[in-house]
Amino acid sequence: MRSAAYRIAFVYSAAFALAIAILGAIIFWAMHVAFTRQLDTMIRDEAAALVSEYRADGASELAEAIGKREAIPSHDRLFYALFDAQGRRISGRLVTQRPALGLHDIVFIDPREGPDAGRGFAVDLGDGERLLVAADRERVEQIDRTVISVFLAGFALVVLLGIAGALLLGGYLRDRLGAISGAAEGVVAGHLGARMPVSERGDEFDRLASSLNAMLERIEGLLENVRQVSSDIAHDLRTPLARLRNQLERGLGGDPAAQHAVIEEGIHRVDDVLALFAAILRIAEIESGKIRRNFAAVDLSALVAELAESYAPAVADGGRTLGWDVEPGIAITGDRELLAQALVNLIENAQRHTPAGTAVRVELAARGDARRLSVSDNGPGVPVQDRERIVQRFIRLEGSRSTPGHGLGLNLVAAVARLHQARLSFGDNRPGLIVTIEFPEDRV
Amino acid sequence: MQVLVAEDDIETAEFVARGLGELGHSVIRAANGPDALHLATTETPEVVVLDRMLPGLDGLSVLRRMRAASIETPVLLLTALGQIEDRVEGLEAGADDYLVKPFAFSELAARINALARRRPLSETPTELAVGPLHMDLLKREVRRDGRPIQLQPREFRLLEELMRGADRVVTRTMLLERVWGFHFDPQTNIVETHISRLRAKLNEGGADDVIETLRGVGYRMRG
Repeated sequence: MRSAAYRIAFVYSAAFALAIAILGAIIFWAMHVAFTRQLDTMIRDEAAALVSEYRADGASELAEAIGKREAIPSHDRLFYALFDAQGRRISGRLVTQRPALGLHDIVFIDPREGPDAGRGFAVDLGDGERLLVAADRERVEQIDRTVISVFLAGFALVVLLGIAGALLLGGYLRDRLGAISGAAEGVVAGHLGARMPVSERGDEFDRLASSLNAMLERIEGLLENVRQVSSDIAHDLRTPLARLRNQLERGLGGDPAAQHAVIEEGIHRVDDVLALFAAILRIAEIESGKIRRNFAAVDLSALVAELAESYAPAVADGGRTLGWDVEPGIAITGDRELLAQALVNLIENAQRHTPAGTAVRVELAARGDARRLSVSDNGPGVPVQDRERIVQRFIRLEGSRSTPGHGLGLNLVAAVARLHQARLSFGDNRPGLIVTIEFPEDRV
Repeated sequence: MQVLVAEDDIETAEFVARGLGELGHSVIRAANGPDALHLATTETPEVVVLDRMLPGLDGLSVLRRMRAASIETPVLLLTALGQIEDRVEGLEAGADDYLVKPFAFSELAARINALARRRPLSETPTELAVGPLHMDLLKREVRRDGRPIQLQPREFRLLEELMRGADRVVTRTMLLERVWGFHFDPQTNIVETHISRLRAKLNEGGADDVIETLRGVGYRMRG
């Protein structure tokens, strides 16, 4: 059977039916034994009664007692036979051979039905005479037959219910799974928006469908991102390459000195493109998480102070000021260089997007369990509704990325923050923008 | 000097070999790992330029076997873009320097020069003297023609690197790596800012400029 749902349902029903059959056999056997024993007890008691009669009153009285008992019409009557030492039947109507002593199965001739099976109990009376008391097995057999027919009817009912149940259950499972695989096939066929149906029951299937949907959602997002990135890259590459091409064409006609300048300018443009690729590949490498293997203890305080000190003159040359306030002794587990690059990008952003005269501040402080690194400025800031957008824009690489450093800068910061399980947030510095990276408690 | 260039990409190998030849170096080439190892052990190159991805035997294995055979020739490892992890591995395997492709030829040439003239650690001097400049590495003092010059720690490190590489080109990236520990290229030219401050301090009082700027490449200290 190709359907696992039906197979499971049928195997379950068959196992149930088998259990019922085994139970029935045990019950049947137990009843059969009990009734046979009852029969045996009855004939043994009867034989004992006749023997005591014989002991008390002699052989003639015994024959009379036998005759009397045989005369009483009863459906569960017993049969009697008294044999002499030579094996001849001298009394009783039971037609059979002279039996061995004790309890055993016998075959006798039923006057109405012919040869019949029975249970007999033989006892010696003395003088070689042997008394046999027997009962027709019919009584036990009748009970056996009743039990078997009742049981067979019940079993048939169980099997029928089992099959019906298996069909229903199998069909149900197949339908639920079919809905999920149908949606999956839709995705395979290219309908990335297809989703698994989720009912309101909230059962295992719904949970499975929900997780699959979440997975599809994520994949679709990533694909969308890749699509966006590829088209952005293509777009970003077109402009510098087109300019490079024009320039080279212009250089063709010029004198050697002009050609030299053209080549230098061309190299510069190509370097820009290469820098863009370097940034993209670096972000991809950070996002792969492999770098975590190189994590080591980083003296964040020393690193931040060092960087701020190095950047202060460069920021000052650009007409802004860089101040810093670094709490000493803050260490985290991470990648020193990536942390440096993230901070450099934040400082460069603060410098690039603010007017001359802006004061940029770098702060590092421990607050409770968290370590907060922030870069703030008192420039024009970013309106609340745009704060989400710049994160979104940079992270999703949408829109302006005309130069490699632009746009990818914050993207790298976000990737580094994620790599360190830190939280990146943008806030209002009243006035200006404050970017905060909050590192969680170090678990090393 | 003799340089072994182990690089399987013919165009890159050609480009490097021609450039080095023009600078007066003699170049031997290997296009696969086993050849590179063979040449590194049988010839006596002063510097080995080793690509990380070589057919037959990868660059790291070549490097490890060289070091295992006690061949201490300086090795400059070349790698493809975006392999931060590779750098750690490369340096652990015994590489002396590391350059990410694509690179500017001037960068490669400057690094090969630096590697060739590098002295063993045991010979590290405690004093440096280049032209009118004198640096005492233990006392952290710098003098020009006997006149003491006060430098920030970072400026001191910058000057130290330039003086160690006197008469040779020290590139901007080399300075970023050695003075700041950056293996990435920041947008802001902090090297330039610090060089200009250092230069102002060194040339105070109208003295001759001792730091030569090579546009788009780096700096050179004249002895």
